[in-house]
Amino acid sequence: MTQPTIGELLLQNGVSRRAFLKYCTAMATLMALPAGMGRALAAQAAAARRLAVVYLSFQECTGCAESLLRAYSPSIENLLFNVISLDYQHTLMAAAGHQAEGALAQTMKENFGQYLVIVDGAIPAADGGVYGTSGGKSYLDTMREVSKGAAAIISLGTCAAFGGIPMAKPNPTGAVPVSDVISDKPIVNVSGCPPVPEVITGTLFQFVAMGKLPELDALGRPKTFFGNTIHDRCYRRPFYDEGKFAKTFDDEGARNGWCLYELGCKGPTTYNACATVKWNGGTSWPVESGHGCIGCSEPNFWDKGSFYAPLSSAAFGRAGNVSPRDAARLVGAAAVVGGAIGLGAAAVSRQRQTRLAGAPLDPQKKED
Amino acid sequence: MDLLSFARGPALQFALVVFFIGVAWRIVGITLLRTGRLLSEPRTSLGKALFGGFVTMGSRSWPHPEFVGRTGAGEALGYSYHIGLFIVVLAFGPHIQTWAGFLGFDWPALPSGVITIISVITFALLLAVLFRRLTHRVLRLLSNFDDYFSWFITTLVIVTGLLATAHFGARYETLLGLHVLSFDVLLLWFPFGKLMHAFYIMPSRAINGYLLARKGAPS
Amino acid sequence: MTVRLADIRVTFDHGYGLAAGVNAVLSEVIQGLERLAAGGEPRTIDLRSLPLNPVERERLRALLGDGEVDVTLDLEGVSRVRETGAAGVWWIEHRDAGGELIAEMLEIARVPDILNTDPEDLGRSAGALRDRIRAAQSAATPENAP
Repeated sequence: MTQPTIGELLLQNGVSRRAFLKYCTAMATLMALPAGMGRALAAQAAAARRLAVVYLSFQECTGCAESLLRAYSPSIENLLFNVISLDYQHTLMAAAGHQAEGALAQTMKENFGQYLVIVDGAIPAADGGVYGTSGGKSYLDTMREVSKGAAAIISLGTCAAFGGIPMAKPNPTGAVPVSDVISDKPIVNVSGCPPVPEVITGTLFQFVAMGKLPELDALGRPKTFFGNTIHDRCYRRPFYDEGKFAKTFDDEGARNGWCLYELGCKGPTTYNACATVKWNGGTSWPVESGHGCIGCSEPNFWDKGSFYAPLSSAAFGRAGNVSPRDAARLVGAAAVVGGAIGLGAAAVSRQRQTRLAGAPLDPQKKED
Repeated sequence: MDLLSFARGPALQFALVVFFIGVAWRIVGITLLRTGRLLSEPRTSLGKALFGGFVTMGSRSWPHPEFVGRTGAGEALGYSYHIGLFIVVLAFGPHIQTWAGFLGFDWPALPSGVITIISVITFALLLAVLFRRLTHRVLRLLSNFDDYFSWFITTLVIVTGLLATAHFGARYETLLGLHVLSFDVLLLWFPFGKLMHAFYIMPSRAINGYLLARKGAPS
Repeated sequence: MTVRLADIRVTFDHGYGLAAGVNAVLSEVIQGLERLAAGGEPRTIDLRSLPLNPVERERLRALLGDGEVDVTLDLEGVSRVRETGAAGVWWIEHRDAGGELIAEMLEIARVPDILNTDPEDLGRSAGALRDRIRAAQSAATPENAP
């Protein structure tokens, strides 16, 4: 039984082609494609078949799922579910227990080699993976099994992509990102804590409509959304360039919307789409709401020091002021050691000086 | 550990320790050297001699009129890039935050666009200085590894800084890492070469001024 | 003394970057218009990809002005297509069913593409209409007539 095409499904569900064009146009602008490409994308997507998607949840807080799925209401995101067939997802699916696992096994069998696996959460690998189990199987084993028939894997969120908060010090469960467990399938890292919802849907849509994975950066993230730093797209950039910084969260500078560099904004070293796509359907984003970027789409951002210490104050692996006592200790100790060496050097030099002073003046004799 | 974390973590710590050890070593070592006995009669009082030493620190800031023609241009060139470097190091927002991290207080910054212009001018001046050193017969004879490496590492810090702010050539974190790493190398080199003139210059002038004033020479 | 939220003054510093975004968009619009008038292809400018702040957006809207055509589309959420005061420049807003803005663009065209009838829909239209007529006619056959 061949699956209906997306176009046929749209017709069945009473979604007009024009409405689908609107959706595809929105997707095109989201993916920084020329907005005029909407019609071409619509045609391509309509001719494709729905993509079977399996969603695995591991060491996660469900924030990434919320980011993607909270829009599941009579909204444009609803159209996304005409485009994918979400066959397995713990939070959403009505089935539970053996029925749920059965659904997973069935979809894996029917779509072997063609289904997409979305993973959120890190995978605990210490002690054989025993710190994360579901249905009697460890997350480690589930990941390896399910990925066997996957066409591609999307690591959703910083935990799945880079280890995230479970991997932060001291990492008691030995949490690792998906890419440390699977090496033989293409992996797309859609990082962020959580990722911007449109980044998730845009990446999925791109895979369905264009039949291939988007172009990835050095960390495996879609270049479309992660190609620029927050700093490069920030609307407060003119203030950074002018040297106008807010010093506290409620001072004049903050109220005038000045740059938040001194309040810890990690925008310059963070690659994400927040500054252009924004959050909550374009309502706002952290900097616009007055809080510096915390760099949540970057690896190890939990361990990179305080969110409130400026980027350039990070020294000695700590952010924020090196405590005066530490600084004094360092300088003092070094100076004492240096002084001691200096004393030794001076002693040697003085000896030599004395020797030279006592030596007879003889132009022919070689002095050293 | 990535380049940036290494550069401003273990590398910076190590460089600072070596820097302070080296500076203390050299200052103590030199201060305790034997000085020759002063064989001439003091022609001024101690107070006047000390004052003469003090004044010399300032009066040597510019060549005597007879020499300005020959050395004036070189002096002016030197001053210009030093001033440029000081402004960039002390008045650029992110740099001020680095200082604040160690000192516990900060101060107002200049607009970053202004800093960029000053940095570019300083870089151009550094190139001019190298050109002069390479083409001036006497300077070329006198110059050694110390001169060229001190020039090189200073220029490298400024160039990597400019590249980082321009996001040109590599990812920003890489460029920033290289910038901080080149600063670490500067710190490591500082106590062992001519960059120590930063600490020597004023005491050296003062001592010379004192000795001359003691002999009755004007400062 | 507790400060109420309403007491916190919100100001906007009009930095030097104010005109830059608007001017950039306008020069693109003019380019697009000239090209279209010379027989070129329609052009779309995505307003959401540019960091325009609210003041700049208002300024752009004021400069472009209003035209004669204002179309509201009901497409799984409201979409609005408005002709601006510049002929051939259309301001398009797409919202989802929750009212959230999902796309905003300027289209430089004789008629924005979204208003055109979809070719596939058109292909099916005659057949669908025939079916409807047939259904209506059979509902009003002599058997049912009073």
